[in-house]
Amino acid sequence: MLVLTMMTYAIGKLGYSGLNMIFLLLVTVIIKGVIIIREYMELRGVSFLWRAIMYGWLWVVTIAIAIAYMLSL
Amino acid sequence: MNAPITKQEPKLLPGDLAIWFFIFMELLVFAIAFISYSVMRIKNIEMFNEYQLTLNTELGAANTILLITSSYFVIRAIHAIKVDDIKNCTKWLYAALAGGTGFLILKSIEYYDKFSEGIDLSTNIFYFFYFSLTMFHFLHVILGMIILLFIAIKTQRGGYSSEDHVGIESGASYWHMVDLVWIVLFPLVYIIR
Repeated sequence: MLVLTMMTYAIGKLGYSGLNMIFLLLVTVIIKGVIIIREYMELRGVSFLWRAIMYGWLWVVTIAIAIAYMLSL
Repeated sequence: MNAPITKQEPKLLPGDLAIWFFIFMELLVFAIAFISYSVMRIKNIEMFNEYQLTLNTELGAANTILLITSSYFVIRAIHAIKVDDIKNCTKWLYAALAGGTGFLILKSIEYYDKFSEGIDLSTNIFYFFYFSLTMFHFLHVILGMIILLFIAIKTQRGGYSSEDHVGIESGASYWHMVDLVWIVLFPLVYIIR
């Protein structure tokens, strides 16, 4: 998690932009989000409905952000 | 003869069901805010890119590390109470609170810098989103810390045990939600361009 955070920070500091960077950053968000939902919130093994809501939130938000950024390029 | 395959019952949600509906509601509001930010940016790309560069990414990254670490401390608190280790559970909860306090301090420094430059919510559309999103999250950090403080004090007084720690799990779930939201907010507002 900390490494992914430092990577995100480095991308920002170095001023990288463009579609590839947007996807890389959003993949990082998803990885960190999945870790928080599965391990931190301990939703691993919980009934499908609750996991679907949490993972659904993460995917819908990141996909919506990706679409908005693609439209802006 | 083969033993019958017993279907494993799904685990229960950690904590109280009510806190989870509160969490889902908060996540919905943040989702709408994140998507609004992304859509508004489409019409103001130069402005968003220009003013994004004025944000303090060092403080943003440091705050991300503080929240991730603080969330980890809360996990350790849960593991401690599950073995009736009240002393360590309390210690980890206060450590998580320290992380939250650090977040609030760094955030306040960030706001102070902006306000002293005469920048505020009404300066432009980018700053409107920057301040409203981060301040809304700031309030959630404060609420999360109030919950953690209440739990830490109750734990210290022996209010929880391995048999009964739903309250701690509820507080922990809320705190992890605050972390999850920041995990999206930081790259979206500070980095992605």
